[in-house]
Amino acid sequence: MFSRPIKLTLGTWTLTAALTLLSACSSPSTISVSGSSTVLPVVSRAAQAYSDTTGQRIIVNSGGSGVGFNQLAESKSDIGMMSRDITDKEKAQYPDSQFTPVAIGIDAVIPVVSSEIYEAGVTALSLADIAAVYKGEVDNWSTFGGPDKEILVIDKEASRGTRHTFMKAVMGSSTAKAAGADLVLGANNEEQTAMAQSDAAIGMISLAWMNDDVRGLSIKDGASLIDPNLKTIADGNYPIARELIIVIRDDISSEAQKFVDYILSPEGQTFVETSGYIKINP
Amino acid sequence: MNQISLNPRLRTDITFPKWNGLKSYAVGSALFSSTIIMLILGTLLIQSHPALFASDLNLLSEVWDPAGGQYGIIPMIFGTLIIMSIAMIIALPLGVLSAIYIAETRSDRLKHILKSSLEVLAGIPSIVYGLIGVAYLSIWVAEGFELQTGRVILTAGLLLALMILPTIMTLSEDAISSVPRAYRENAASLGLYHYEIIKDIVLPAAKADIAGAALLALGRALGETMAVMLVIGSLDRLPSPLFNVLASSQTITSKLGREIAESAFGSTHFSVLVLMSLILVAFTLILTIAAQKLFTKDPHNA
Repeated sequence: MFSRPIKLTLGTWTLTAALTLLSACSSPSTISVSGSSTVLPVVSRAAQAYSDTTGQRIIVNSGGSGVGFNQLAESKSDIGMMSRDITDKEKAQYPDSQFTPVAIGIDAVIPVVSSEIYEAGVTALSLADIAAVYKGEVDNWSTFGGPDKEILVIDKEASRGTRHTFMKAVMGSSTAKAAGADLVLGANNEEQTAMAQSDAAIGMISLAWMNDDVRGLSIKDGASLIDPNLKTIADGNYPIARELIIVIRDDISSEAQKFVDYILSPEGQTFVETSGYIKINP
Repeated sequence: MNQISLNPRLRTDITFPKWNGLKSYAVGSALFSSTIIMLILGTLLIQSHPALFASDLNLLSEVWDPAGGQYGIIPMIFGTLIIMSIAMIIALPLGVLSAIYIAETRSDRLKHILKSSLEVLAGIPSIVYGLIGVAYLSIWVAEGFELQTGRVILTAGLLLALMILPTIMTLSEDAISSVPRAYRENAASLGLYHYEIIKDIVLPAAKADIAGAALLALGRALGETMAVMLVIGSLDRLPSPLFNVLASSQTITSKLGREIAESAFGSTHFSVLVLMSLILVAFTLILTIAAQKLFTKDPHNA
């Protein structure tokens, strides 16, 4: 009865295994990069240009900072992309390896709202206001002078670098829980889609991912307003900024090391700017 | 995928030629398959061991917070069960009624076209359904119920119903079509109306196979990951009130999909995730055993 579907599945498995084996054997020099979807645009642009000129094969995958670190630590990749620091817990899990974080650019996490809310007049909030929303203490836009609509609070997966940076600045702890969250999403693009689909959402997104549907809030600091733009982030005034990091192990291959050097070179740094972030080596 | 026969009468006993190479190859394949299943189960058991025997994880609580050492898996199990139920409640009657329609009232040619299109439908990758769910279904649900977001239990249930419908339809249709013509002719000669023949003769005879179809579909519903993950909202919380299907939730598979890659191998977090997959496998095993029990019954004495 069941033999047929099971055979099919087995066949598929065997095929997948064979393909994986094949690709693993034929690509000793392929550089594999994975991790933060925030850092991804920079590295994939740089990888494209680098492999165009050198012929080096580079595979860049998303997955989030936590995934980036784990894959690197378990030797499943050569370079991990992270948009936050390596936590002590993560380091403790791999006591035998040495990890070196290399900053390649600067980014900010912007509290964003749906364009309908922005246009209705909610263009700036204080960090305390935002914290109140994520704690579930405020649940209606009218509190902030917006329309009488319930707030759709969008949270992120716990391991995401964007969330760590955001929660650290807003709630004081990078692993703070958000009792007011209505949705938990993953990568920046998933969040961007959900924000655009809603007319009453608040979320957190990396600078490069803002657009007309997803509008960045200015931060109220006493009487002054700090706009989210490259200038305020570069001069350090914007409160929710972070470094974009790629992490390497001590036993990095020479090919991968060359690629890292390329990203830090003046040519490589231009991709930081074209991706909407700020150069680390101006 | 095209001809999965659930009817024991169609089983033929294969006699091997007296060529031992082929025979041992076949035996080897069979052993290999069962070894893989044993290996998977063994791995799951070993990896979930730390979670099962740790005392302070609060596995049966409602709070999921790996950073704080809280690993409540109840919301995920509840989400899995409620979404599965919604999908079955919608897809089962719809699928069986469609199967009756296709099997009993249409010409062979139309039947062929309908069946092949259903089988194509059953083969569409789940991520495609997921994208349709995000782009349309969740928007419709949000607008229809005036919700803030359409990424809720109901959307996931509807999407899953859509995904398992072809399986139920095509297998139930097989079951109904394989009821011998003689039964119908006898019933007709006794003066029964067509609907009476379907209701009192055909459906009882095909009952066991239809139940088998439902169980196979249930298996798919349980294991579905991508499509559900995209429309469920991924909130590790029990809905409030409990049966509010317009709340976001989390299933075991969506939890695994989102977190398994970022939990370090061998950590408690990883172990609890594996434990959840073990629970899922246990569900599926129970269903499979139940299905086989049904199949071995002779449907014509049912």
